[in-house]
Amino acid sequence: MTAVLPKRIKDILLGDSPVPWLAPLVTMLVVFTIYPLVYNIWLSFHEYAPFKRRLVYVGWDNWSALVNDTRFWDALSVTFTYFFVLLAIQVVLGMLIALLLDSDEPGFGILRGLLTLTLVIPPAITGMMFLLMEDPAFGVLTYVLNGLGILSPDAPILATSSTALAGVMLADIWQWTPFMVLIFLAGLRSLPTEPYEAAMLDGASSFQVFRKITLPMMSKVIAVAVLIRGIDLFRAFDYMFVMTSGGPGTSTYTLSLYAWQQTFSFVKWGYGATLSLVGLVLIMIIANIFIYVSKVRW
Amino acid sequence: MIVENKTRRRLRIVVAWFVTALFVFPLYFWTTTAFKEAKEIFNVPPSIWSFSPTLRNFEEVFGISFGFLRQQEVLPGGGNFYMAPRLWDSIIVALFSTALAIIISTLAAYSLSRMNFRGRHHFVSWVLSTRMMPPVAVAIPMFFIYKDIGLMDTHLGIIIIHALMNLPLAVLLLKSFFDDIPQEIDESAIVDGASRWLIFRRIVLPMAMGGVAATAVLCFIFSWTEFIFVLTLTQTGLKTVPVVSSSFVTSTGTAWGNMAALGVAAMLPAFVFILLVQKQLVRGLTLGSLKQ
Repeated sequence: MTAVLPKRIKDILLGDSPVPWLAPLVTMLVVFTIYPLVYNIWLSFHEYAPFKRRLVYVGWDNWSALVNDTRFWDALSVTFTYFFVLLAIQVVLGMLIALLLDSDEPGFGILRGLLTLTLVIPPAITGMMFLLMEDPAFGVLTYVLNGLGILSPDAPILATSSTALAGVMLADIWQWTPFMVLIFLAGLRSLPTEPYEAAMLDGASSFQVFRKITLPMMSKVIAVAVLIRGIDLFRAFDYMFVMTSGGPGTSTYTLSLYAWQQTFSFVKWGYGATLSLVGLVLIMIIANIFIYVSKVRW
Repeated sequence: MIVENKTRRRLRIVVAWFVTALFVFPLYFWTTTAFKEAKEIFNVPPSIWSFSPTLRNFEEVFGISFGFLRQQEVLPGGGNFYMAPRLWDSIIVALFSTALAIIISTLAAYSLSRMNFRGRHHFVSWVLSTRMMPPVAVAIPMFFIYKDIGLMDTHLGIIIIHALMNLPLAVLLLKSFFDDIPQEIDESAIVDGASRWLIFRRIVLPMAMGGVAATAVLCFIFSWTEFIFVLTLTQTGLKTVPVVSSSFVTSTGTAWGNMAALGVAAMLPAFVFILLVQKQLVRGLTLGSLKQ
């Protein structure tokens, strides 16, 4: 087979050219990433006209509609609140638990194994689990929080606009704090011991040791974990979709959820596309600034 | 690390087990819900330890009989909550999308790990940046594209989109596993006249098999748990487990027991898989950038 091919083609297929190796990947990414992206941009300049039953060109209308759409600004604020609050909670809580588990005690391997379990549960099912536990009538979490006096029985956690987002966040914290724990723990376990021995001789306190030795040596690990978790937090969708559908009001509407509902529930195809593009542009900017500043490399 | 005194050590052990128990509790509660009769799910205060276990929920969801349903109620293949085919959909989609992603990404990762060409670094960044795209920004245009080309509501359509979703992870992770294998092995094989393809097939791929397996497991899990693409790109032809779980919410109330039974069945394979790849898990979760 190879003998009959012209030499040039043979060189490309068997020689040192990356082309045949990368071709399937590039094809997939172009057809299923670049093309949809271009299509999405095209869609954002059109809108479905119900009476004509087709898309019509509307120019920049969808883009300028963003400015006066209070639900869009609400969604943006929910998205950023969710992003920053959960990133902070998961990093701090993850680090605390990682420091707690960073020990050779018998049985701690089992604890680490147990913590990985939350990572493989479909987020939609996690949402359902918390929906059950936060049920106003018979939820176990509601029962505990009411008993502790943190919540009042007349204000169900997911049906009250001031607490609904926190109720959704609980599911995310439960599912993804172990993600941080495992990454931080792997980082902590691979740290060299010499600096700690030196610090002990100098009589440094544990907090000083953490602040001056552990934290600087862990900076790359923390940066990678924050980047990956941050990307996922910004596009949060599953939990809100199954737990609250964005309500009450707009209190748990994220940008992704709002874009999806505009497209598929309200048949505003062009506007939904525009909203999803806003999310795309924002996360690209944030992630690339973060990669640039933190010097994370692949 | 630092030598601890006895009290601190004890305290650490107690707190560690307590914190882990907090994280395990929702799983425990959900699993027990799958074994409860409906009336016990609605108990106030919620029954945590004491309830009379039943397999009824599993019978209804999977259409098998353990003798908990009275004969006239057995509805294999007929009940509203019969979900066995949806489990099958999930398995098909996860298996084939994993295979597709692995085939494409082993080839790409090999060349990114071994060949020097202009723009290689930018190419890696581009692959990484596709990981950042919000799924909704792909799902919306894909809905219209799939309608046009007939992939809407088909297994093939979901297999392709799930493979695509996993490509950045698979490429970057496999590249890191290939990078671990010394370049000298390739170079000496080239001197002996082996082609790139031969080196890849006979040397590098077998040596990186553990890494390939770990990557495949992660791809499988991410396809298994994916929600928004299946929600958007299917209608009645197929549904995977995460998406179908919302069909337990009915106008007459939510069938929590049935939903939990399906959820438990969906979690078990994922639990087994993830415990198999514990050693490579952190590397996998960080797309190959951190090694354990």
